[in-house]
Amino acid sequence: MATAATTAKTHTSDIVIIGGGPAGLTLASAIKNSPILKNLKIKLVEGGNLIEPLEKFNESPPPNFMNRVVSLTPATISYLKEIKAWNHFKEERTETYDNIYAYDGITNARIQFDSPEIATMCENFNIQSGLFQRIKELNQDNAENPLEILDKTKVIEIKSDEKNKWPILQLSTGDSIKTRLLVGCDGYNSPARKFAGIESRGWAYNRWGIVATLKYKDDAFRFPTGWQRFLTSGPLAQLPLPDNWCSLVWSTTPELADILMKLPEEKFVAMVNAGAKLSPSEMDYLYKLSAKNDETLMEEISWRLNLFNSKLKEEEYENYPLEIESIVPNSRGRFPLKLSHADTYVEERVALVGDAAHTTHPLAGQGLNMGQGDVKSLVKVLETSTERGLDIGSKFALEGYFSERYPANHVLLGIVDKIHKIYSTDFTPLVMARSLGLDAINNTPFLKDFMVSQISNK
Amino acid sequence: MFRKVAIKTNPLLLSKRFLHTSPKTYNAVNHTAISPSEMEHFNKLAATWWDPHGPQRILHKMNLIRMDFINDTIKSQLKLNEGIKNDEEKVFIPGWNYKNLLPSEIAGQIEKEQKAAIAAKYDALELKCLDVGCGGGLLSESLARLPVVSSVKGIDLSAEVLRVADEHKTLDPMVEAKLNYELKALEEVPKDDLYDIVTMMEMLEHVDYPAEVLKEGLAHVKPGGHLFLSTINRDFISWFTTIFMGEYVLKIVPIGTHTYSKYINDSEILEFVEDFKKEYEVVSSKGCIYLPACGWKFTSSSNVGNYFSAIRRKEKLSN
Repeated sequence: MATAATTAKTHTSDIVIIGGGPAGLTLASAIKNSPILKNLKIKLVEGGNLIEPLEKFNESPPPNFMNRVVSLTPATISYLKEIKAWNHFKEERTETYDNIYAYDGITNARIQFDSPEIATMCENFNIQSGLFQRIKELNQDNAENPLEILDKTKVIEIKSDEKNKWPILQLSTGDSIKTRLLVGCDGYNSPARKFAGIESRGWAYNRWGIVATLKYKDDAFRFPTGWQRFLTSGPLAQLPLPDNWCSLVWSTTPELADILMKLPEEKFVAMVNAGAKLSPSEMDYLYKLSAKNDETLMEEISWRLNLFNSKLKEEEYENYPLEIESIVPNSRGRFPLKLSHADTYVEERVALVGDAAHTTHPLAGQGLNMGQGDVKSLVKVLETSTERGLDIGSKFALEGYFSERYPANHVLLGIVDKIHKIYSTDFTPLVMARSLGLDAINNTPFLKDFMVSQISNK
Repeated sequence: MFRKVAIKTNPLLLSKRFLHTSPKTYNAVNHTAISPSEMEHFNKLAATWWDPHGPQRILHKMNLIRMDFINDTIKSQLKLNEGIKNDEEKVFIPGWNYKNLLPSEIAGQIEKEQKAAIAAKYDALELKCLDVGCGGGLLSESLARLPVVSSVKGIDLSAEVLRVADEHKTLDPMVEAKLNYELKALEEVPKDDLYDIVTMMEMLEHVDYPAEVLKEGLAHVKPGGHLFLSTINRDFISWFTTIFMGEYVLKIVPIGTHTYSKYINDSEILEFVEDFKKEYEVVSSKGCIYLPACGWKFTSSSNVGNYFSAIRRKEKLSN
């Protein structure tokens, strides 16, 4: 480990990527996959332990599904295939589904999307593992100039070179790297963004997303479907995994999140089943019981659900998801939800990708996919700039990436935010309006087709 | 003989600009010199040359399509199957429109193979470049960064502007190694210094004797190499876009940047090269236009407005 100095002995790179999440790893693979960019010297820096767990996942994947799961759009999968990373994913752990079913928590007005391969559920770790294997493959073909992944390495400080303003990263290992371009794939609190002096604006939703891995009862057939019920406190989503498993994302208020997280696992499962079907007033009562961990909770939920189910006509059974039978022990987790958008994605010597540039509500399953779209655009801009002999770290060369991605991302962030706001109210006129609207859209095929094409093929 | 022909076809040389002193020459008549007013104009721009959001932004934008034009021309001139005797190893280049006649998967495959062959041949190139009238070095630096370029020499007549160029090149180690600037006129470049690429971008419309300059430049091209130039046609559209809109209305460039009488038509370049057709040929001509907020775009006609031209020196003299 050499000690750093700003003399000729400092390590020099063309690009340093901070962050080993899906955004950073996709960017690294895509750059090395590109015939125009593959000879650039690239390093990826990640503070956590990355390589070991990813190798382990690849060699002996865990028996249960992990609780951080995302929905991948066809556009994302198409790009992953383009950079030849998709065949390294464990496809048997992914679930491609054709149906999305979203319904109102108050009126049960619904919208149903039915389009071949509308989305694919995939564990975050599966994504990272697949990309990591692709990087290893690329490095084998490019032995003189492999991509270096420096994991368990934190960035202590970022300074600017006095002469040409290139960023110099001081690492926790003692080394330092001077680089032509710094790409921040380092999440919401991005140090790269702070170094560049870029402001990020938005607001916290004052909601938490509770995740868990659940198993459906095997008592009826459903096509793999993404279910989402818009409760006033937030959407309850059940997303399909292989073999009748499902991934839960329940966005709810901090108070209710506390209550739900503290419940014993059996009662939590019962609450999920209740949340998928029962009325707001019943749910309020059940939350009160949950807060006290009341022993009558299971019974209450049981007879109310039986009552509800008995009133259903046969053709209405399929309007609701199967009931959950069990939960993977200790699979409950939660994360805070917020909207944010950086003022710009590029500055001299710095580019931002993924959550470092924007965060959104998970209700539309677009967050990670927006980051993938960012990667595709940035790689294209880097390729064109390299062919034109430009300095790829200059803001002038990078501007095209910002102008291509910002408007599209901004619109999507806005739409998701409005959906959240529209469904967060129980103000009757608004509830009636949104239910009417949803029913109208549900019965307008060309509008639904348009929405599907926008969300999945961008 | 050349001068007679040049005077007959190029009205520019009819103007009274024969005897002329220029501060940096040691000849009484320096054919490649620029006038003192032009010199003053460029000196004033030196400080802001490299600011991509300053008065030279339009030049930074134009540099993008300059590089595109150079890359496209060189790639299209590569002979893919040259020297390959074995038919099996040759890249399939049908002499008919395969994209329309073959199914898309097969057409796609053929295109991919051709692109890969072009890329392989391109990557093997080692090009020596001369940038005449390099200014602050926008084009010179871009050329120097290409892996296929082995060296770039930039020459200019303005010491101010060259100083800016020299300073800027030290900021990028990749460029510094390959790039060399000199304050000299084109005629002072040694006669047997030959280059794969000679460039004269936005330059001919600023010199007093463009025909001489072009002839001098062509003499420095290696057989098989190219001279790339960009200049402006002498027509209404040019006057409207570059002078009326560009200088007076939108004020994108300072007033006095352009002198209409010095503009040169694409047809005049063609006629000029026609006189040397045993040795040189114009291989490509592309018009371009600046759209505010969009940047420079290529147009379908090279005889109106701004344009690029690529002149190739043949490997062997032809008949």
